Amino acid sequence: MNAGPVLPGRDDDPDRLYTITKGRSRAPENAFDLVTLIVAERQPTPGMQSEHVRILRMCEAPTAVVEVAAELALPVSVVKILLGDLLESGAVTARHPRFAPNKARLPDLDTLKQVLHGLQRL
Amino acid sequence: MREATSPDGRPRRRPAPRTVALTAAAVLLTLAAAPVGITRALGAHQPLTALAVGAVTVLWLIAVGLAALGAERSGALAEDLAAQHAETMTALVAAGSARQAETAAKGRAAAAEAERDTARAERARAEADAAAARTELARLRTELDAERAEAEVARERAAAEAEAVRERAEAERAELDGIAAGVLPEVVKKLRGGAAVDSALAAHRKHPQYALLRAVGEEIGRGERLRAAALAVCATAAGRVQALATSMHAELREMQHRHDEEVLGDLLRLDHSTAQAGRMADSIAVLTGARSGRRWAKPIAVESVLRGALGRIGAYQRVRLHNASTAAVAGYAAEGIMHALAELLDNATNFSAPPAEVHVYVEEVSAGLAVTVEDSGLGLGDGWLRRAERAVSGEPLDLTTLSAGTRLGLAVVGVLARKHGLQISFRPSARGGTGVVMLIPQQLVTHPAPESAPAPVVTQAPAAEPARPALTPALTPGRPAPARPARAPLPPAPHAPAAPAVTAAPAVTAAPAVPAQLPPAPARMTDSGLPQRRRGQTLATTAPAAAQAAKPVRGDAVSAAARFGAFRKAALPIKSDGPPTTDFTSDASSVTEKDSR
Repeated sequence: MNAGPVLPGRDDDPDRLYTITKGRSRAPENAFDLVTLIVAERQPTPGMQSEHVRILRMCEAPTAVVEVAAELALPVSVVKILLGDLLESGAVTARHPRFAPNKARLPDLDTLKQVLHGLQRL
Repeated sequence: MREATSPDGRPRRRPAPRTVALTAAAVLLTLAAAPVGITRALGAHQPLTALAVGAVTVLWLIAVGLAALGAERSGALAEDLAAQHAETMTALVAAGSARQAETAAKGRAAAAEAERDTARAERARAEADAAAARTELARLRTELDAERAEAEVARERAAAEAEAVRERAEAERAELDGIAAGVLPEVVKKLRGGAAVDSALAAHRKHPQYALLRAVGEEIGRGERLRAAALAVCATAAGRVQALATSMHAELREMQHRHDEEVLGDLLRLDHSTAQAGRMADSIAVLTGARSGRRWAKPIAVESVLRGALGRIGAYQRVRLHNASTAAVAGYAAEGIMHALAELLDNATNFSAPPAEVHVYVEEVSAGLAVTVEDSGLGLGDGWLRRAERAVSGEPLDLTTLSAGTRLGLAVVGVLARKHGLQISFRPSARGGTGVVMLIPQQLVTHPAPESAPAPVVTQAPAAEPARPALTPALTPGRPAPARPARAPLPPAPHAPAAPAVTAAPAVTAAPAVPAQLPPAPARMTDSGLPQRRRGQTLATTAPAAAQAAKPVRGDAVSAAARFGAFRKAALPIKSDGPPTTDFTSDASSVTEKDSR
């Protein structure tokens, strides 16, 4: 049938996504966004789901969620579910690349809008 | 005294008393007179006279004796004479009576003679009668012989006819037997093999029962054509559904990548339904002898095989996989094994009530790979157990054993097991239900080089631990490069100019585990236009040119880190609603938090 790499859609694995997520289609909590950095806290243990193993290997150095998704060739939502499992079990930690002080220092939205208007009027 | 005895022993006859008395008187007289005479003579001195007296006495005595003897003898003679006389008288009387008897006998003899004559006459008459009867008998016998001869002839003729009839019947029966034993099976075999009726019967054109053979052959041929047509229709339909399911899977997979989680749930449900429909089509294809749904061109990891099987059943969420094996199943057999496993799992989930879980264990044994499916459901009865064992035994599938289209599962498993040499055994499970063990033979199992091949990563990870606190979001230049040995900045490939860091990531697990023995496949692009590494391939084989280009810059960790940090900074404000407000922790605090663990 379409065993060849011709058809679109990368359907060259027997795993269906719902078996990878065990039927879930939504991460339990909104703990991740695309750029959340994931860091592995443990070595993978035998018997783990292979995706978890790969995430843990990959995240020995901090890696963004979107990067993990690209590496696993899985949709980001699915990766978020998997990461949620790992986060729950404490195998990874998530860090958000945010700068709290920077946020405070950012000019507020009105100022920016005014600047934008001024620029457009130029 | 003298005794008178008779020589013949007759009782001794006593001497007559008169004789004895006389004799005694004479002797006494003599004995008295003699001494007196002698004495007187002697007194007278006359010896001679004494002598003479003596001598006379002696002579006297002798004479007396003789006389006594003679008297005695005459008496005896007289007695004898009297006895003889009496005897003679008796004899005379006897003779008289004998004569009388003779006379009587003579009379009787005469009477007997007369009787004999009569009897003789009678006999003569009887003999004449017998002679007549004998003649009659002889005549009758002759007639009887004649009749018997006729009957014999008739019987022989009848026997001959019966023999002929029986021989004919024998011959016909032998022919019919031959048809049943030899001809018909051969013809049916040819017909089943797809031959036309004429060609199947060509060898038996001269057969005496050709008409019968032809009628039977045509019927069987029609039945065979019907069967083959029905099978072909089923197989074709199943194949089309398979193709449809496969393309739907591909489209769904593509959509799942395109849409976010709002739609993902629906897509996953559709995907699940499609997978179940595809399994149905696969089952029909297997039972009709068509090929299975897909061919995988690469070995499929056991985990994927299990999950591929899992995805095809309804109640997949009740199944727990316990797998630590990293082995893989040969691509050509993977689909069949997945399908068989799916049928077993379907049985297991169907036969256990909803909250109960079904457990799947994988064990690497010397004979191959043992996959155990254990449910805690009702358990199979003995009859079912036997049926199940028979269904998966070496006997070829008999479609007639399928009962009204239900319970196809075990028949499918049986066909697939025979095809791929799987050994399947059923046993009551210790947990109350049924345990099914599927043994995948060793020749279908490949063991990829151990996962620990990227050993540097694993062993250096602890060493890199102290460096981790330094991994601020800015990614300091001192970041240990060995943690990502194959890290390579994106080659100046025209199709991926935007996200260098993301494309670099695949190299992280691009383990040297799998030697580049796979033929280099053309690099495939992801949706976002990034090169996609196929499973089991290194990035180098996916994009050899890229790897070549990456070589010189490999050590340039500083610039890479800088670029990565730049990307992350740039990506910062993408989601405004993402993190909760409590997440306003500085990186420093995050790091300390992590360190304190």
